[in-house]
Amino acid sequence: MKLVRDVLDKKLTDREHCEMGRVSGLIMHAGERSQPRITHILVGGDALWMRIHPWVAALARRLAKMWGPKRDDPVRIPWSRVETVGKDVRLDVKARETGALDWEIWIAKHVIERIPGGGKEEEE
Amino acid sequence: MPPKRLLVAPLVILFACKPPTPAEQMDSALSWVATARMAGDAWLRHTTPDKYTREILELCQQTLLQLGTKLLKAPVPGVDTASLDNLLTRSRGHIAQMAALVTAKNSPGFRQQLDSLISDEVLVKQFADSAESKQ
Amino acid sequence: MKKILQLALGIITSVGGFLEIGSVVTAAQAGANYGYKLLWAILLGTICLIFLVEMSGRLSAVSKHTIVDATRERFGFPFFSIVMLGIVAVAFLVLVAELGGIGLSLQILSGIGFRWWAIPVSIAVWLLMWKGTFGLIENGASLLGLVTISFAVAAVKMHPDWGSAAHGLLPTMPGDGKAKYGFMAVSILGASISPYLMYFYSSGAIEDKWDESYIPMNRIIAGFGMTFGGFLSMAVLVAAALALQPRGIDVEKFEQAALLMTPALTHWGFYLFAFSMLFACLGAALEISLAIAYFFAQGLGWSWSEDLDPSRDARFAFAYTIIILLGAIPLLFGIDPIKVTVMSMALTSATLPLAIVPFLFLMNDPIYLGKHRNGWLSNSVVAIVILISFVLAIISIPLEIIGG
Repeated sequence: MKLVRDVLDKKLTDREHCEMGRVSGLIMHAGERSQPRITHILVGGDALWMRIHPWVAALARRLAKMWGPKRDDPVRIPWSRVETVGKDVRLDVKARETGALDWEIWIAKHVIERIPGGGKEEEE
Repeated sequence: MPPKRLLVAPLVILFACKPPTPAEQMDSALSWVATARMAGDAWLRHTTPDKYTREILELCQQTLLQLGTKLLKAPVPGVDTASLDNLLTRSRGHIAQMAALVTAKNSPGFRQQLDSLISDEVLVKQFADSAESKQ
Repeated sequence: MKKILQLALGIITSVGGFLEIGSVVTAAQAGANYGYKLLWAILLGTICLIFLVEMSGRLSAVSKHTIVDATRERFGFPFFSIVMLGIVAVAFLVLVAELGGIGLSLQILSGIGFRWWAIPVSIAVWLLMWKGTFGLIENGASLLGLVTISFAVAAVKMHPDWGSAAHGLLPTMPGDGKAKYGFMAVSILGASISPYLMYFYSSGAIEDKWDESYIPMNRIIAGFGMTFGGFLSMAVLVAAALALQPRGIDVEKFEQAALLMTPALTHWGFYLFAFSMLFACLGAALEISLAIAYFFAQGLGWSWSEDLDPSRDARFAFAYTIIILLGAIPLLFGIDPIKVTVMSMALTSATLPLAIVPFLFLMNDPIYLGKHRNGWLSNSVVAIVILISFVLAIISIPLEIIGG
């Protein structure tokens, strides 16, 4: 599998076909005597902004400290949870539990629902 | 590719904000006198509402005032600045009267002012042609 | 039967949604300054747009991905972010122009200055997106936009010299003022070939759940819809050539353009112009706001759909809310929407390669399109027109600045 072409930047969906962002990065483990293999998928956050420039990542981190859900560690999903890699990457997880939707939920609760007609972000 | 694209954007902005030349300002003055005339004709034929007609006549007046000031500061070659200034002042006067007469719904009075403006327009055109030929 | 109705609706909405402040102002200025001489620019732009819109629909129908999805996935995030920044920045300027167009239309109808309309207009546009569905926005605004057909009626009623007009379909150089002519051609091309239309159309194909069976319909909608729309642009130019050019009137301000249809359509002319611009700019403002929000949402992997409640696609709703609010700000400061229009049209033209070149790569990629990849005709037409736009832009703009 060509990692860059087949996995990186692809859309992620969970076991209920809920969209949960895109693959921002991959963590690989290269042992002394073994082939390098992917251990985790990274979603959003630092991994994404670092691909543009470290300064952009630093700015994003500073903004995230002031506003939004407080999350210290990046969203990492074990490679073992990947079910299929096709047009999208399907995962055997529940989107909400991974933290990939933290920003979505935070904005829904703190901004959108406070505006009339915004509706309610469902609690599953 | 990217460096060329980045170069074009500031150039476009520069162009859009570029100040017009004296000849272009003369054409603009003619355009605004002609606009006042067309708006006047339209109002007399009852094809435009009063509020809009007043608004556009006032806009013509203000724009001609700004153009007149600029043309005084940067005279157009081949054009007698004092005569042009008198002409534009007179035109603005007619346009101001027209705007007032719209409010008063005085069509005959409006017609008179419009006819005077049409005569002025001919003279402005002569000035504009003269500026064009001296460019 | 259902498909025939969808087809008819698709064509009608393409026509109704074609004109906006950019195409009207550039066409009116072209007609007022150069008579029929710039009709070729509208023709060229429209032909290119037909191909681009058809390609946008085809990509989404076959790959079930939008252009933005495919751009990020194929080219990676760093390149995608450059494209996004460029396209979004220019699209935002166009949005400001459209919101200004709505404000100016209300100004000439009410006598209240467009600056006062900035906030109410933004709120109205936002509310339509907040509460409306994709179908309502796409179809509703475009159906209202059908009032712009009055430009065609006005042009015909003024009895143009069809022979001279036909000559205008072939490029000619003017005697003098070549740089200004070139700049105007560039602006017309930018007004006709708006990238935001492609992104909106592509997202719409996904919202409407198109598949490969929609490819023939897509071709017909793009072909007929954009052709009739292009005729409307030409009608504006012809109307200006007949109503304004003989009188020596240039379109520097919106109020001057409002006189365009009064000779032909008497007391209807003024109101038809005002309402044409109102609905045309409203439709465009909705499309552009959505297109920008789609860019962020699709590019960054957020859920997005106009058919969902805002809380179900919170980041997407937040994005378009911020975009519209920011769009109102320049107008509050009284920045002239006409100046923004002309600048944004020329900028669109100059930055077209940024949107189109990656798109052409995608349209030739078998992974996304399989056997429905571009043929040589689509590739050639688009590549040539984009090259023309770009070259014209980099020549005429510096010349205009220096020469004067």
